Amino acid sequence: MSGNYYIDDEVHQKAYDSRLMKRLLVFVHPYRRLMGLATLLLLAAAALSNLVPLLTMRAIDSYIADSERILLQQRLTEAGSDSSPETVQILDERAKGDEQGLLTLVLIMAGLLLAEGFIRYGHMLIVAVVGQRTMFDMRMAVFAHLQKLSLQFLDRHPLGRLMTRVTNDVEKVQQTIVEGVVRAISDICTLFIVLAFMLWTDWRLSLVTLATLPFVLITSLVFRKHARRSYLAIRQKIARLNAYMQENVTGMREVQIFGREDRNYEAFRARNVEHRDEWFRQVRNYALYFPVIDFLGALSVALIVYYGGLEILAKQSIVGGYASVGVLFAFVQWAERLFSPIRALADRYNLLLEAMASSERIFKLLDTPEDISNKDDAIACKNIRGAVAFEGVWFAYEPGQWIVKGLDLDIAPGERVAIVGYTGAGKTTLASLLSRFYDAQRGCVLVDGIDVCDYEKVSLRTQIGIVLQDVFLFSGSIRENISLGNEGLGEDRILACAEHANVAAFVHRLPGGYDYDVGERGCNLSMGQRQLLAFARVLAHDPKILVLDEATSSVDTETEYLIQEAVGRLMEGRTSIVIAHRLSTVQNADRIIVLHHGEIREVGSHQELLARRGLYYTLYQLQYKDQHAQS
Amino acid sequence: MNVHTHHPKAVPGKPFLTLLRYNTPYWRSYLGGALLAAGFVGIGLAVPFVIRAAVARFENQTMTHALLLHYFLLLLGIAAVTGLARYWQRTWMIRASRKFEYDLRNDYFEHIQRLSPEFYHRTKTGDIMARASNDLNYVRMLIGPGIMGSVDAIRLPVALGLMLSLSPQLTLFALLPLPAMSLAVYYFVMQMHRRSKIVQEEFAAVTSRAQENLAGARVVKAYGIAERELRDFRERSAKYMRESIRLATVLSLGWPIIMGLMGLTMLIAVWRGGLMVIRGALLLSDFSCFLVLLMMLTWPLAQFGWILSVYQRASVSMGRMLEVFAEVPAIRDHEGTRHDIACLNGGIRFEHVSLAHGVASVLEDVDFELDAGHTMAVVGPAGAGKTSIVSLITREFDPTSGRVLIDGVDAREIPIRILRRAIGYVPQETFLFSDTILGNVTFGRPDAHPDEVAHACEIAQFAETVASMPEGYHTILGERGVNLSGGQKQRLAIARALLCDPRILVLDDALSSVDAHTEERILRRLKEVMASRTSIVISHRIAAVQHADLILVIEAGKIVDRGCHNELLERRGLYTRIYQRQRLEEDLEQA
Repeated sequence: MSGNYYIDDEVHQKAYDSRLMKRLLVFVHPYRRLMGLATLLLLAAAALSNLVPLLTMRAIDSYIADSERILLQQRLTEAGSDSSPETVQILDERAKGDEQGLLTLVLIMAGLLLAEGFIRYGHMLIVAVVGQRTMFDMRMAVFAHLQKLSLQFLDRHPLGRLMTRVTNDVEKVQQTIVEGVVRAISDICTLFIVLAFMLWTDWRLSLVTLATLPFVLITSLVFRKHARRSYLAIRQKIARLNAYMQENVTGMREVQIFGREDRNYEAFRARNVEHRDEWFRQVRNYALYFPVIDFLGALSVALIVYYGGLEILAKQSIVGGYASVGVLFAFVQWAERLFSPIRALADRYNLLLEAMASSERIFKLLDTPEDISNKDDAIACKNIRGAVAFEGVWFAYEPGQWIVKGLDLDIAPGERVAIVGYTGAGKTTLASLLSRFYDAQRGCVLVDGIDVCDYEKVSLRTQIGIVLQDVFLFSGSIRENISLGNEGLGEDRILACAEHANVAAFVHRLPGGYDYDVGERGCNLSMGQRQLLAFARVLAHDPKILVLDEATSSVDTETEYLIQEAVGRLMEGRTSIVIAHRLSTVQNADRIIVLHHGEIREVGSHQELLARRGLYYTLYQLQYKDQHAQS
Repeated sequence: MNVHTHHPKAVPGKPFLTLLRYNTPYWRSYLGGALLAAGFVGIGLAVPFVIRAAVARFENQTMTHALLLHYFLLLLGIAAVTGLARYWQRTWMIRASRKFEYDLRNDYFEHIQRLSPEFYHRTKTGDIMARASNDLNYVRMLIGPGIMGSVDAIRLPVALGLMLSLSPQLTLFALLPLPAMSLAVYYFVMQMHRRSKIVQEEFAAVTSRAQENLAGARVVKAYGIAERELRDFRERSAKYMRESIRLATVLSLGWPIIMGLMGLTMLIAVWRGGLMVIRGALLLSDFSCFLVLLMMLTWPLAQFGWILSVYQRASVSMGRMLEVFAEVPAIRDHEGTRHDIACLNGGIRFEHVSLAHGVASVLEDVDFELDAGHTMAVVGPAGAGKTSIVSLITREFDPTSGRVLIDGVDAREIPIRILRRAIGYVPQETFLFSDTILGNVTFGRPDAHPDEVAHACEIAQFAETVASMPEGYHTILGERGVNLSGGQKQRLAIARALLCDPRILVLDDALSSVDAHTEERILRRLKEVMASRTSIVISHRIAAVQHADLILVIEAGKIVDRGCHNELLERRGLYTRIYQRQRLEEDLEQA
């Protein structure tokens, strides 16, 4: 996709936009229970994981560094060899008790670890499922909306851009709203849980631990500001760099013929330098930020050791033993848990900005109104006779540049009309107006005397079979391309239509027959074969009105014969409007309409028009005379 | 100038030698970073021992306030030094990796500029771009964060040694889960890649389905099959969703397992170490030291698996980039190039020239002579080989057999730049760059004087268009700027070619989108310009070719007729038929 490297480089200025967020939450709403469960699981996991430092603390303070046991030991050592057997036995029992207690705690911790693992697994899975489902819903919403938009809209917007909405934009939004929201909740919750544990254990030591927090916050805020500026600049520069390279690859012929290699290399190098230098700035931002944060973390640990040490010293002077080395361990671990979410903050902010930009683009597309819509009292187009009329129709793709100028034309049910004219006469436009791909600016198009705008769109279009010059095939089998996924069509019907449209004539030569994969856009088939396949498609859907834009490209004689035969069968029993490029078609038409610059200039049969020696005569010489020689 | 040797630093087929060569200039940064890493890893490992000393003081009750402050300051000092060292390490190493990225990207660009049209015919733009963006990024990941992470790994053996010195028994116990952890990381990273690949494929399927739907919007609407399309797209999207959830399952499982194994290590250490302390086999101070060491060790070990995956991805990506570097330009200057040729006069001779792309013959035995200063026209049906004749003169291709001579010298012996500088080419389809009008007109001669630019635009009948633009010559063209119509583009292309003041002017169907009236004006003005140059005009319009000194009529790659306008008309062949068609079309246009 060539659009890829023209990254939409505008970035949403606000990281949090409540208007957008509200609309985004609509997509998450169906899964609010699961999201709630995920948050609960996360809380549980956070609580469990913060229990571990607490238990470690107990393991050390109560058992490993059991002060009574140590006192006993000390006394025993002081007493030397003349220690009483009772003391030795008491110490032994105490040690046994400590061992037992330690084992119990370790087992509890192992249990907690296991439980935490399961809970985290469950949580991550739920988040992933919800994220994927919301993304799926959003993608379907975008895709479904695209189906409603008119050809006019689709023609005006580069396909690559529209694709980005369905693919990358949706992806980015999902990453943020689901992961981001859950993670934000989780970070805040973890923060509070850690705080609660710390305060409950030792509020003074907690304050000491928190002393560095303001500095961490300030550093992060300053860093975020600089890092974001560089981040935006880098995005823009890499987009420029890649766009330039892509442009050169596409226009390499010009570059080489005009001998621009050196100059363009210099221009590329200049862009590359800009990109590199912006990265240098960003490298410095990060190189400063991480060590500073690490240093603050270390400071926190050092403060815990220092202040905790003072507390132990104070206790030692009273109790005489020594207490709570374990507390220090616990606090060091808690401090780590406190700092890590703050460190991650900066990166998340950038993601949020991107997601907001993406969601804005998605909503802009979803807000595009359906420009060719059904009326409220639209009627179904069924059992029609097939009369077609154009009444004073004016149409322009671009304002002021009229393609069709006040066209009046009546076509009776079952009539075969050939429309001829030179390039740009407005022939294809007539087909588009009839099917309501576009609406006429003035005048109206009638089917069975009713304005096409009054019919229900889909029912109208199923009554009109269109075969365009450039036949569009979907990748898939021949059978699928005939039925277009309509399960109402039986196998017999498909085969019959294929037979009738002379598709059968070449299918039996293909490996797999009707299951043969036609390839992307039908590239595995020849132009003529594609035409025949399109005929079969029309036959299978049995419309009352046929619009056929004959292909101009030449095919071999055999295929030409097959096509001519099939066209004849196709027109049987249908009102046929053929934009003719074949002599046989014009000769067999009931009426020939000569269209020139959006106006009807001549009407009549082949012989009549030839005799008139007007426009048709010239066209005949240009387009049809050579075929005469061939056929 | 050594145009024809490809860049010596990139060695096709040898990704790691290439990486080494590219990074050699920055060896100081890497060495410095490694030394710093060794330094701060060493200093950092002192932390557990400071803690050990402090705990020991508590244990034998010799701790004082002054000592405690001393330990506090020591810890702080270590942190400060580590921080500084980390700053410099990061700065040096990551900067070097960005410099490497810059060098490689420049060379890549320079290299693809030399490759011939033949390469661009068989290679998709997306592929060329993917190598310059995604692949280059993976390679840089190895050189930057990858190497930095690996350097940090020197902590592993040192810490291990220290732990062993404290208690070999406890070390063995505690490290039991670690190999499993590293393996788990590696396993999950590989699984992740495998699954990601599947997810990417499904994503591509969703993308191409959507693309097909949008490209075939006409059929979708005509047959009213939007519902079915929606259903089909839903199925694809659902499949993609399922695969994504599968990937998420792997990830969701991997992380808790790795975290769990890390926790298990700690638990074993606390349990076995605690027992040893209780039994008096280990000092509490040594135990504390051990725990801190273990904490420092687990993370780099887990990182090991990540580094392995970075390494693997980078080698694949470098290989992909080297595929492009391995391409040798088909058209290039060589030993036989006559560097004494500095300018050309513009006489052209084709000697029994044939050209084939693969097995498909494009030109067969084309033979003609065009004197310098004369005008030749080439007419014939689409696909007859008209443009191919020109592409042999500009040397986009070399003949399969026969010779193309310019001023009597084989084109293959003329320096490419001299040859192309002598040619002013107006292509069939004009490609314009997202630049200003001025930038596009002066494409071939960026130093042209404004008067010359104005003159060229005036001859090409483009000056009025420029005047009507909001910012005149400084109007930006392209996606982010103004889009020109087909006719405007062609006139710009003519001005662009004229500005080069070429000895040979080539107009390849250059007026097809210009209306008859403007065409006539351009042709009249061009006549003066063409009078003094060799000109080749490819056109299906008789008005553009009838005054040529020589007209070649080409059909299916062969010259079927030649002569001047009147001679050809008299022969009543293909030329006459084309002429009559042309007349009819003109009639229609005026009707």
